[in-house]
Amino acid sequence: MTGSSRLRETLAEAVAELAGPRRLTVIEVAGEGVVAFDLHRDEAGTPRGRGRTVVHWADQKSGASSWARQAVTDAVPDGSTLIVVDSSPGGRQAREAMEWMRDVHPQVPAFVLASGLRVKTLLREVVADEPLRRSYELVVLKRHPVTARLEFTCRPLFTVEARRGDSLTFTVRCEPSDDRGTVFAVAAWQDRYPALLSVQTAKVPPGPYEVTAELERPGRVRFPSLPEFTGNDRTWAELVASVPSRLASPAGPAHLICAVEISGTGAQVRERLRRIGQVIAVMPGGPESPLRMSLIAYGAHSYQRGTAEEPVDVAAWHTSRVNTQYALERLEGRIGERGVSQGYAGAAMLEDMLAEVAGRLPAGGGERTVLLTVGECPPHPPRAHRSEILPCPRRIDWKQQVRRLEQHPGLTFGAICDQPSERADPVWSRLGRSGLAHLDAVDVRKLGAGLGLTASEAQPLPFPLIEVP
Amino acid sequence: MTPAVQPDPGQSERSDHSIAIWGAPGSGKTTFLAALNIALILKKGPWRVIGADGPSTDFLIEMTTALSQYQRFPPATGALGHYRWFLSRRSEPPRRSWRRRRKPPRAWKIGLDVLDAPGGFFRAERTGYGTDREELIDNLAASRGIVFLFDPIRESKDGDAFAYLHGVLAELAGRMLADDEFGDGMLPHYLAVCVTKFDELRVLETAEKLSLLTPDPDDPYRFPRVDDADAEELFEALSAVSAGGNADMVLPALKQFFRPERIKFFVTSSIGFYLDPLRGVFDPDDFQNLVPEATGTAGGAQNPHDPHGPRAVSGNRFRIRGQAHPINVMEPMLWLGQRLSSGDGDAGKAGG
Ligand SMILES: Nc1nc2c(ncn2[C@@H]2O[C@H](COP(=O)(O)OP(=O)(O)OP(=O)(O)O)[C@@H](O)[C@H]2O)c(=O)[nH]1
Ligand SMILES: [Mg+2]
Repeated sequence: MTGSSRLRETLAEAVAELAGPRRLTVIEVAGEGVVAFDLHRDEAGTPRGRGRTVVHWADQKSGASSWARQAVTDAVPDGSTLIVVDSSPGGRQAREAMEWMRDVHPQVPAFVLASGLRVKTLLREVVADEPLRRSYELVVLKRHPVTARLEFTCRPLFTVEARRGDSLTFTVRCEPSDDRGTVFAVAAWQDRYPALLSVQTAKVPPGPYEVTAELERPGRVRFPSLPEFTGNDRTWAELVASVPSRLASPAGPAHLICAVEISGTGAQVRERLRRIGQVIAVMPGGPESPLRMSLIAYGAHSYQRGTAEEPVDVAAWHTSRVNTQYALERLEGRIGERGVSQGYAGAAMLEDMLAEVAGRLPAGGGERTVLLTVGECPPHPPRAHRSEILPCPRRIDWKQQVRRLEQHPGLTFGAICDQPSERADPVWSRLGRSGLAHLDAVDVRKLGAGLGLTASEAQPLPFPLIEVP
Repeated sequence: MTPAVQPDPGQSERSDHSIAIWGAPGSGKTTFLAALNIALILKKGPWRVIGADGPSTDFLIEMTTALSQYQRFPPATGALGHYRWFLSRRSEPPRRSWRRRRKPPRAWKIGLDVLDAPGGFFRAERTGYGTDREELIDNLAASRGIVFLFDPIRESKDGDAFAYLHGVLAELAGRMLADDEFGDGMLPHYLAVCVTKFDELRVLETAEKLSLLTPDPDDPYRFPRVDDADAEELFEALSAVSAGGNADMVLPALKQFFRPERIKFFVTSSIGFYLDPLRGVFDPDDFQNLVPEATGTAGGAQNPHDPHGPRAVSGNRFRIRGQAHPINVMEPMLWLGQRLSSGDGDAGKAGG
């Protein structure tokens, strides 16, 4: 028989070995009866367990062997590691029970615990002393410095092997939250997979904030520097969904490129141009504004012998709002006089427009750029295609052009399509990846805010932000 | 019905070389006829097509003009059309004629009595539709050649080629074979089974996958083509992917009633592939010869060939992009014409 330090060691080893579906059962034959402890690791890698008194001596009339058989069969799940501990001060029933256990499980380690010590206390200490098996990180948002797009990321708190009592201090920035406060969520990582460990909500005033995180024990991180936590009644999915796609920062240089399809019916084209006028009008565009604008018109390819087609028309490039508005008026006038672009029905030279824009953007980016495409038709494929749409005469591959633009640092795609999104050609969801509006029902202010061009009214942010270098 | 054809090649004025075109609505029957003249002209061969009466000549001129000059497809057919044409062969150039003189001279004029019905007739109720259907069966019974058009594009969408075949076929067989006039229980017709719309990507792709495309060394444009010997294989592959799933019954049904030696397969296209005039040869990246008609909004146009839709929908969804280059349009007609005039088309004798 061995003492409590050997037992503590054995328990620590058995807890350390818990992984996945493995379980540990500790049977304690105590003064008042038999207590069974069942331990496992939860999703976040924290050992969890509970004890249950499965036999009260006081209730027993029959001999020990009958209850023991029952109790052990019931309390020990198949395949579980078993440890038996005798903490009883003696007594016939306890003695009989221990004897029986030894008979049935001769290979199971059996320990005797000095009087007054209990398995419950030992287990609690063993679990609290365990070094971390997973790294713990705080769920935060980071904002792309150019596109203002928000993205979830993690700020490391405690690495594997960290122990209770470890702490660290760091700074986050809190945007105004809604009345339910800012969420401090801790995730435990195993390899590349996070598991949510805890979600705590506190009302933190907007601005930079110094946060101290302390590892109380595995599975529990305290934030002693934060104001008192308030309850959280939202599910994780709701919290994630409440994060806006970007955090507007109206300041800073930016470039809005409006590309408009000028084929279709006259009414359609006029409506598209009118919408572009509205978008331009809500942009911050005073003489000092660092926002530049461009206007591009593209029409239909011509497959008619002897009919020349109008190439993509760059009506304004990287200029002021006033100049762009002037270019828009000229374009409207020209279409009023000469009519819309005639040619192939059912597709437009969208691919030529994309190539034009991709070719004009300076390599390396550096400036927040929004490509707002306004139209209806799909592009032409680069070669004969099942859609029956004829190939682009210049064999431009629109997918390649979109990819080229997607790789351009700081470029955001917005679109206004004549059709509601469920009826629009699939290309439009790609062109409107960060904001797709329907021509008949577009809220230009909201679209501008969604694309990070205009300030929106208070945008509550439920998670803290970290500054990225 | 006149039972025999006089073997005299010069005979022409009255013929029973009547050829009917059979196929579902929109399978391209009328376009096929309209393309015949263009096909003959572009071939620069000895054959010409000539109308035998006023209305037949008008139809020829109208359709040729629409197709070649205005690049438009014919409207959906509304009533049974009956056209009397001749395929006429110009005499051989004198230099070669001394050689040919030993052989019996070939027919220089083949009468074509062409029947173009609205596709819907082939599916009409046996009793309900009455006269249209009656007239159609009468005409099919009187003809000796049939061009059966199988439209793989329509088949992949609607899968109804069999529906437009089996009813009329059963009725025709009932009518013609009941009194056992022809002996062997088979219909006397020659049958040209044509896979249409070879110019469409999906048809061309299927042929390519099956390695059925063969180059034609004589073709300056290097259009892909499928050898007649391989046409049946393509037909089978295309009917295996029908939307309704019973196009694979089309061929067995045809073989039940037509003599196998009187069936020939062709892979055809009335409009052919697009040819970039600057390039001058077939471009595998850009060969589609259809452009959508600019009327209405994109995608919203209605299919004028929907048998349940209004028949009066104006115009077609597509027009022809460039010059039509008919593929295998002349060949099935010539094959039928020559079979019928060579004498063994004479059903009464062959049945013996
Ligand atoms: N791609 C392609 N399409 C064709 C061709 N021929 C016809 N079409 C298309 O098929 C449609 C129908 O052609 P029609 O010749 O009117 O067909 P039909 O069998 O006479 O139709 P009904 O008169 O309604 O029975 C045309 O409008 C074209 O859109 C062809 O050679 N290639
Ligand atoms: Mg027709």
